[in-house]
Amino acid sequence: MSRLVQIFSSRRTWAWPYIAFMAMFVVLPLILVGVYAFTDIEGHFTLRNFAKFFTHSEAIQTFIYSLVIALFNTTICLLIGYPAAYIMAQEDFRTPKVMAMLFILPMWINFLLRTVATVELFNMCGLPLGEGALLFGLCYDFLPFMIYPIYNTLQKMDNSLVEAAQDLGANKWTCFWKVIVPLSLPGVYSGIVMVFMPTVSTFAVAELLTHNNIKLFGSLIQDYITTTDLLNYGATLSLVLLVIIGLTSFLGDSDSAGGEKGGLV
Amino acid sequence: MRRLLVIGHLSLVICLSAFAQSNLTYELKVGTTGEVKLLEEFPESYAGEKVNITVTGYGLQVTGYGLQVTGYGLRDIEALDFVFASEDQPRLADRFDSIYSYTDEAEVAWTVWRSNKEIKNRGQRVLVANAYKTFEEYVVSHTAAKKRGSGWIWWLFAGLLLAGTAAYGGYIIYSRRKEKLLTPVEQEILRRKRMGNRRHYGSQLYLWLLLLVLYAPIALIAVFSFTKSKILGNWTGFSMDLYVNLFTGKADAGLNSAIWYTVVIALIAAVVSTILGTLAAIGIYNMRARSRKMVSLLNSVPMINPDIITGISLFLLFVALGMSQGLATVCIAHVVFCTPYVVLSVLPRLSRMNPNTYEAALDLGATPAQALRMVMLPELWPGMLSGFILALTLSVDDFGVTFFTKGSGGLETLSTFIYSDARKGGLTPELRPLFTLILLVMLVALIVINVRNNKHQKD
Repeated sequence: MSRLVQIFSSRRTWAWPYIAFMAMFVVLPLILVGVYAFTDIEGHFTLRNFAKFFTHSEAIQTFIYSLVIALFNTTICLLIGYPAAYIMAQEDFRTPKVMAMLFILPMWINFLLRTVATVELFNMCGLPLGEGALLFGLCYDFLPFMIYPIYNTLQKMDNSLVEAAQDLGANKWTCFWKVIVPLSLPGVYSGIVMVFMPTVSTFAVAELLTHNNIKLFGSLIQDYITTTDLLNYGATLSLVLLVIIGLTSFLGDSDSAGGEKGGLV
Repeated sequence: MRRLLVIGHLSLVICLSAFAQSNLTYELKVGTTGEVKLLEEFPESYAGEKVNITVTGYGLQVTGYGLQVTGYGLRDIEALDFVFASEDQPRLADRFDSIYSYTDEAEVAWTVWRSNKEIKNRGQRVLVANAYKTFEEYVVSHTAAKKRGSGWIWWLFAGLLLAGTAAYGGYIIYSRRKEKLLTPVEQEILRRKRMGNRRHYGSQLYLWLLLLVLYAPIALIAVFSFTKSKILGNWTGFSMDLYVNLFTGKADAGLNSAIWYTVVIALIAAVVSTILGTLAAIGIYNMRARSRKMVSLLNSVPMINPDIITGISLFLLFVALGMSQGLATVCIAHVVFCTPYVVLSVLPRLSRMNPNTYEAALDLGATPAQALRMVMLPELWPGMLSGFILALTLSVDDFGVTFFTKGSGGLETLSTFIYSDARKGGLTPELRPLFTLILLVMLVALIVINVRNNKHQKD
């Protein structure tokens, strides 16, 4: 009994309920995705799901298409978001807090509602709903996720480095490319990770924005997972997505770690 | 000040042009006859099938088995069943009078959806592009008149525009006069300051343009929350009816229960994850380096995973366990993705705290529970509070995870409600005032927090 008391008075054990909870509801489910991906509907081991994926042209095409769309979206977000973050992080910019607030405020409106309103806006302006609308909507949804990390790194950046570069004779352009951009790279990386993966896996948004004419990988997974007899195939597609996520976050990690090391040297 | 005036003007102009567009409404008269053909031929197998027709505010939508037209009408009028007479193309026109006698005639825009045979079981929608066109053309050429919006709103905007211009002009004259009283040196300083500001006009303009685009859809929602119209984008005169409906519970029953469930789930998830996360943070903080790293890694998994993966993996777990999905599973799922954020907001408070105070309390004879309540919690609560608020926000905003864990028992949160609504082809109108109010509340809250922070800094 006293041993039990001792265990619980050690604060280290206070995380145990959480660890147990996570094991049950995070780790086990992820393992189950793998299990379902490699079994058929009766629970026997099979590789047929993967064979189906690699020969299923719709799935492959959607997958590649989603990656391309996500790449475009990330690029657009970066091109629009970087200048915005840069302007806000300028020293003589007087209202950065208000501006930052204005950029997060829309996030409190449900994103599906915003998407529907975007569709309506496109209808009002007589613009067609298609790839353009899809990219606009995705960019609209994810832009704050790109601006924020970049703004944060730029704001924390040591301004004396820029001044030093200017003192040493660098013009504005050189100063920007050789000093500011390299120093803001960690923020750019995390912005890219925060925009790219969610775009690939997004569902519902693409469906609403294009009247389901364009499918992204997320919608495809949704279709299969909600169909009882195709659930295992849906799990396979999810596993593919999981692998991609693992790869990107791994690459992102090693990239930013490398960046930090470079900074130290 | 000047900037604000310019922005006000710009947004007014945008509003005006939006209204100019939205005044194009189609008017369908009761009792119209005429043939409307769906250009896409239906497969023969649809002949003899039972068809269910109702009117939609936003789109005539064909889903499910055979031909099912769903939408707003579903809530307003009884569904109308009819059977395809032959393998002929369906003639929807025959049904118009009986449909339109029930509905607000000025509020219809049409889209025709048809389920494709191979995916109809999943209720997928495919746009029949040609049909859309014919339908609209028909509506325009046979019955529609371009209806001008109610005149007073134009006058209101014109008045506002005029007032804005007058205020701007007045401000300029006023500031010029004040300037003349200054000494030459002060005038020069002012001029330089202005030149300095002018250099940033380009970048300022960029940010404000971005914000304009970002807020355009939201402004649409807010503006149209003051009209009764069922479809977004159709102005039928100023009215507070939607707000009244929202607060008197006259809104759609589905919406009311969705609001209720959203609140309940968010509260449960936030409370549970705050308790679980705070305990976990204390535990993690006291761990040895290696196990701390392991648990932190585990903690970051739900944050890296996109919604769809969290949702699907939990869905598979519940299926494998044979749990029936409903309120409990949604709550569990929300705790899963909320807790890591609580842990992350409590951990910094712990590292700022003097680690010896807790031990000191124990040495002085406090029980661990007392020490926790009287020593730790007062130090930790700001972190816990921000974690709690974050958890609330995440839970209310979540769609992906809820979608996969809510089961088919009719449980809907606001997000999933909006999704199924939008899929049917229209939004429940009361959603507009609801989110306008949420936006206002958030705006006020953020302003209050900002002002308070500024005061703190000044103090």
